[in-house]
Amino acid sequence: MSNKKVNKKDIAKLLETWSQQFTVLAPSRESGVAEMLKWDGKDTSFLDWYRNTVVPPKASFFPPMEEMFRFQKDKEGYQIELPPSNEHKQLIFGIRPCDARAMAILDMTFKDAYQDPYYLSRRNNTVLVGLGCINPCESCFCTSMGISPAESTDVDLMLTDIGDEFLIEEVTDKGKKLTAKASGLKEATKDDEAKAKEVKKTSHDKVTRKLDTEGIKDKLLASFDDEGFWEKAAAKCISCGICTLLCPTCYCFDINDELVRGEGTRFRSWDSCGFSLYTKMPMENPRQEKWRRVRQKVCHKYEFYPMTFDIIACTGCGRCIRLCPVNWDITQVLESVPVKTEVRK
Amino acid sequence: MTATDVSHGKRFFARGNVYLPHIVVIEKIIEETPGVRTLHFNFKDKKLQKEFTFESGQFGEYSVFGIGEAPFCISSSPTRHDHLEFTVQRVGRVTNALHRLGVGAEIGFRGPYGNSFPLDFLKGKSSLVFVGGGIGLAPLRSLIWNVIDNRDKYKKIDIIYGARSPADLCFGYDLEAWGKDKTVNMVTTVDRGDDAWKGKVGVVPKILEEVAPSASNAVAIVCGPPIMIRFTFPVLEKLGFAPEQMLTTLEKRMKCGIGKCGRCNIGNVYVCRDGPVFSYAQIKSFVSSEY
Repeated sequence: MSNKKVNKKDIAKLLETWSQQFTVLAPSRESGVAEMLKWDGKDTSFLDWYRNTVVPPKASFFPPMEEMFRFQKDKEGYQIELPPSNEHKQLIFGIRPCDARAMAILDMTFKDAYQDPYYLSRRNNTVLVGLGCINPCESCFCTSMGISPAESTDVDLMLTDIGDEFLIEEVTDKGKKLTAKASGLKEATKDDEAKAKEVKKTSHDKVTRKLDTEGIKDKLLASFDDEGFWEKAAAKCISCGICTLLCPTCYCFDINDELVRGEGTRFRSWDSCGFSLYTKMPMENPRQEKWRRVRQKVCHKYEFYPMTFDIIACTGCGRCIRLCPVNWDITQVLESVPVKTEVRK
Repeated sequence: MTATDVSHGKRFFARGNVYLPHIVVIEKIIEETPGVRTLHFNFKDKKLQKEFTFESGQFGEYSVFGIGEAPFCISSSPTRHDHLEFTVQRVGRVTNALHRLGVGAEIGFRGPYGNSFPLDFLKGKSSLVFVGGGIGLAPLRSLIWNVIDNRDKYKKIDIIYGARSPADLCFGYDLEAWGKDKTVNMVTTVDRGDDAWKGKVGVVPKILEEVAPSASNAVAIVCGPPIMIRFTFPVLEKLGFAPEQMLTTLEKRMKCGIGKCGRCNIGNVYVCRDGPVFSYAQIKSFVSSEY
């Protein structure tokens, strides 16, 4: 199987072709922060400024706020109605390998035991076109999490910047169908392949921040009761929740009702284990103290998620480091977990 | 840890959208105490009413439309399935709304969720010791009636139940019925009595120590406020009960009820998905005491 390539000037044309079948989402700064939004049909300037989105692509599957159903009371009693179908086909263009892995991690939770219909219907109706990251941020540590910034098997198509062109790899059958429909693609030459290989390697080496994840699960377990360590780790946190809300693998949510002039809506919205109200019960709150919430956040990703799904729920995308208002740094916290020799009973 | 570690029951997985509640109708309301009421309800859909099954210990998510949704255990027994019951204490937004409802009101219900009391495990025991406090009798009574309705399958039954005062005793009608049942050793106690009170006075763990049920091939099932549970387990240990012989149900803030929304998480355990029924041995193995 030979790979394809497309000239950067023809990206608009390519997206236009896909727009006939899909709602195409691409990096945009229209809202003030970078996020995947509906492509406007012409602008490809993101190719110049885009490093990664601020809002992770999970928002296209699991929106910050979404309607679950509507309810209304009539003579017969309460009537429940699903919101208008969101089963349109969407294509996300430019997802980074870290964020594509995050989707695979989220799938595990939303598919586990009870299927989450809202997330899964969008997931099943979406194709991912990955774009290799050739300019990782200082805060990125994806290579420590088993991800290479310009390589991915979690997407349907994978694009690599080889100068004036993008090399296109068909990762899945869905991806093959995408290239079959597109005109203006050329066969990649051996030279192109070699260039892409080089770009992948260079990009990989550009990720300088490292985190040693060897045995991290057991290390955290051994230090789980070390209140002093966790208090120190949580000291400067202001519990704003941004590291969790904008984390591509965080999935906690809240469910609430709204009733306006007899028309009701049940909606769900992103929530965060960083908030003390998150676990508050009328009589007590198991995670009232801030250090418990910070411990929960760190350990859920690096200890509990691996216990359940055998994978760390972190992709090293670096958002929680870049976006933290007080420069809290998860890699620093993890590097400073004390090494305990005695086994926890 | 999975649900099957405690429960041997079958899981019921709803088809379609798991978040959509069924409409149920309140048929009867019993005011247990000034702040606690039991609501009897039935599905509006007659077909569902016939098909719905659950096990003692499981819970549901109940909606007061426009106010919100909250989890409560099903407090009736699956052996008496002409209707379902749940019991709520007035403490928050949803429970206050539930306390304002009247007979005929429609609410939402989805479930059943969670694991259940392991009946097969209990059937083999020489003695079952039920220890309840306050509204904690709600999940216990589902199991107690379940056991009594299959009386020949179980051996000795002790019930030790207490509340702060005589006025705080829930399910007075059940206490009376179990008190009259010659096959059941029923002990009721209150922390503080009044002039009319003729029963025992003292907190549940203390009375449990007095009653001193044998631990030999026995299982204790403990439900009540956290403070009662914390003091009851040591008494049971003193009486010779091993952690595997003690069961309880845990209560945490929950929203989804199906192991997704995250708030009932303790280590790799989701109380909604893997519980709410746990043995004390399991609880001791939890990574934290955040329950």
